[in-house]
Amino acid sequence: MATAAHHAPVTDKTELPVERSDIGLIRPDRTTGLLDWLTTVDHKKIGILYGAFAMFFFLLGGVEALAIRTQLAKANNDFISAPMYNQMFTMHGTTMIFLGVMPLSAAFFNFLVPLQIGARDVAFPRLNAFSLWTFVFGAFALNVSWVFEFGHLQGWFNNYEWYGKLVYKDFAPANGWFSYAPLSGTFGQADAALHAQRFTGVGTDFWIIGIQILGVASLAASFNFIVTIFNMRAPGMTMMRLPVFTWMTLVTAFLIILAFPAITVALIELMFDRQFGANFFNPTNGGQPILWQHLFWIFGHPEVYILVLPAMGIVSEILPTFSRKALFGYPIIVFSGAVIGFLGFAVWSHHMFTTGLGPVPTAAFSLLTMAIAVPTGVKIFNWVGTIWGGQVRFTPPMVLSLGFIWMFMCGGFSGIMHSSAPADSQQQDTYFVVAHFHYVLLGGVLLGLMAGLYFWFPKIFGRMPNAAIAYVASALVIFGFNLAFGPMHYLGLTGMPRRTHTYQPGYGWEDWNFIATIGAYILGLGVFLAFANLVWTAWRGKRTETDPWDGRTLEWSLPSPVPAYNFAQTPIVATRDAWFEHKHGGARIGALADGGPEGVHMPSQSWMPLLASVGFLMIGLGLPMMSMGIPHLGWLVIAGLGVLFLGIWLWAIEGPGGYHLKTPSAKSVAPTPTASVHS
Amino acid sequence: MSDSAAAPTSTGIDNKKLIMWLFLASDCMFFGTLISTHLLYRKLYPTGFTDAEGHVRFVQNLFDLELTSFSTFILLMSSFLMALAVSAMHKGQIASFRRNVLGVIVFGLIFLGCQVYEFTHFYHKGLTIQNSVFGSTFYVLTGTHGTHVAIGILWLILLYFYSFTGKLRGHVGALDVEIAGLYWHFVDIVWIIIFTVVYLVEYLGPNGIWGSAVTTLAP
Ligand code: HEM
Ligand SMILES: [Cu+2]
Repeated sequence: MATAAHHAPVTDKTELPVERSDIGLIRPDRTTGLLDWLTTVDHKKIGILYGAFAMFFFLLGGVEALAIRTQLAKANNDFISAPMYNQMFTMHGTTMIFLGVMPLSAAFFNFLVPLQIGARDVAFPRLNAFSLWTFVFGAFALNVSWVFEFGHLQGWFNNYEWYGKLVYKDFAPANGWFSYAPLSGTFGQADAALHAQRFTGVGTDFWIIGIQILGVASLAASFNFIVTIFNMRAPGMTMMRLPVFTWMTLVTAFLIILAFPAITVALIELMFDRQFGANFFNPTNGGQPILWQHLFWIFGHPEVYILVLPAMGIVSEILPTFSRKALFGYPIIVFSGAVIGFLGFAVWSHHMFTTGLGPVPTAAFSLLTMAIAVPTGVKIFNWVGTIWGGQVRFTPPMVLSLGFIWMFMCGGFSGIMHSSAPADSQQQDTYFVVAHFHYVLLGGVLLGLMAGLYFWFPKIFGRMPNAAIAYVASALVIFGFNLAFGPMHYLGLTGMPRRTHTYQPGYGWEDWNFIATIGAYILGLGVFLAFANLVWTAWRGKRTETDPWDGRTLEWSLPSPVPAYNFAQTPIVATRDAWFEHKHGGARIGALADGGPEGVHMPSQSWMPLLASVGFLMIGLGLPMMSMGIPHLGWLVIAGLGVLFLGIWLWAIEGPGGYHLKTPSAKSVAPTPTASVHS
Repeated sequence: MSDSAAAPTSTGIDNKKLIMWLFLASDCMFFGTLISTHLLYRKLYPTGFTDAEGHVRFVQNLFDLELTSFSTFILLMSSFLMALAVSAMHKGQIASFRRNVLGVIVFGLIFLGCQVYEFTHFYHKGLTIQNSVFGSTFYVLTGTHGTHVAIGILWLILLYFYSFTGKLRGHVGALDVEIAGLYWHFVDIVWIIIFTVVYLVEYLGPNGIWGSAVTTLAP
């Protein structure tokens, strides 16, 4: 820090002599091009990268979904084989949850939280870059399994000794997104070569290490965001003035840091079973597979709230904007979000009603699950109260948000039905459950996230997405979605099992399955169109003004695209919805006297987060290949650990660095300087 | 690591300190899950394990309580030295800081040495990660804790050498040491819990808390 404070502010870091870290390494200083994207520590660019990767994985997961639906379009179909079908639905679910929804939410956390709280960056910019790249490499390790599967189908490995020795040859994960033991684990006595026998192929090892790496990324990001929200708020931005999206980010981050350790441990235990012949879940030696279910769902239920709370936050920003009314019952919405997060830790066994928990736990978990619907319902009423009597504008984000409320509510109703244990024992593992969680996840979360994309895109890129295409895409998505998933309620209640690659004719399932497949294609087209519209906008879209929606929160006070330093002068906030009040005759936003002639302090870019993440990439590739029995791959894992530690060490001793950037404080669009602090 | 260590924060708590507390909260859940796994299986299978010759072995005969008590004491004392090191750093007494941190490192290494000895000893008595659930949960739980200690030692060694560059000083330097200290104390507390619920409770009552009949059936 000290070294950086002594130069005059510049407009671009390249104007300064190269900055060297304490051990003499040169720090990257480009602010454009590939070098910049790889080494950036700017939360906005990191957010854009998260978003781009997430949209890519959404499309990949969508292709997998269409393969599933095509297979199910008619009875006794053989579009894909049964083993391939297992890999498809496993990778579809895993991809959508961990590589689609979570990173897209992270994209919003990154881009918006600092702007909404009036900060210039997150608390730990380099840690933020580390989260991003660790996510990217975790996603890569997970999906590289497809390459091995492809090679296996092509016969690439036929002449290798290790290939001949493999009992099961499913190379992509095939256990479902919760990888239940004992299927994912081992059986029998471990032999001298350390290998107990496994029930499944190395796809499971890709899954284990992939999820483990993604967990590290989520944990690091969550620590960072909690500190940012607690510590980096602008003067006057008290906790109860925080925008609701930021509040939901905070709750989500707490859920992540408290829920992920359970899955981390479960994955370590499963890994020890598979790699070193331990007995955590090995039934032959007394391991209890049920333990996996408990550990998984102690993580898994909070995880569903990790998925949905950010979308709820987004919708809570959009509805007031397009109703031109303050959010109805702000404190209640915030409080319900926190209660949902809290109760989310106490309902995990509703996923295990059919395992025979005994009457007392079953009743308790049943009641708690019903209880969690109360704060959820409260939120819905508050959203309706927000729209009520407002001057509603049906812009694309508003249409998608209304879709969110409606679809999410349908999913909530079937959720309540699951909470009754006797009913659930009929519904478990049928298409009814598939219908339920797609209504909450797709009809809810995805619509909410798409609404967020259409809402903030003008801020992110300074360009307005084409509205006509957006309406068409939204209509296709909502219509196609209901056509695809509505019938699944019926299919499920008439007994069609989940995760089965085909069905026999004569059960009355053919018609509805065919309709569902048509719906899925319409839905797929809609999502593709919506995303294509956005990508086009980022490139070529029409330029738009800084505050096209008459926004309410601080980010709309900034130019679009937002400059590197965010706020030329740190704002002083006097009220909730500060920017809206400022514009419309309420309390005005003040400004600190910073960012003047001395410029704004900016953190330096760094290679080290990327380097440390590469260590995870090596571990993520090495461990599954070790499992395959390819010789010498243990060294790749050890080298990966080495790279990880090297990266962290260089990171620690390079120091944060930093330089001073000039701000055009005179012509800042942001709140007029200190003189205007009055009300 | 903080890129904004000097800036004032909204809560008044330093960023780095807050993130360490959050990490420790998360780590609590991590060890909580591991310890729960171990205890659930102890309750389910109160007898210990079967060794290579097919003899049933009891946990109480396996453990060497004197040795583990000694290493526990050493780890406790290392926490004491860590506290001294932090306080020396706050007063700017760098030489005293180095002495104490060196003590922490040596004590930490002694602890790890005891653990390595314990693991090999247990292994020779027939307990492996593969032959029983007890072996799996015991080695993975204590091994994970050992890894935490090892990372702490590595961190302190780096801080120790860093102090010779002259850059470890002032408020920021004291904070860096304090955060390493938080981590070290936490790892120590976790060990106290492990020592209690994994080792000591086995000796409660004549048959151990899990009801394995050590006095009558011991081989
Ligand atoms: C009113 C709120 C909710 C209630 C009462 C509820 C209840 C339930 C219950 C009882 C199950 C177990 C069904 C079974 O396995 O037979 C379940 C499954 C599931 N829920 Fe929810 N849920 C709610 C909201 C959500 C939300 C918000 C999400 C995600 C954003 C979600 C995602 C899922 C998923 C992914 C499953 C499938 C688990 C599996 O693979 O079996 N749920 N829900
Ligand atoms: Cu649940």
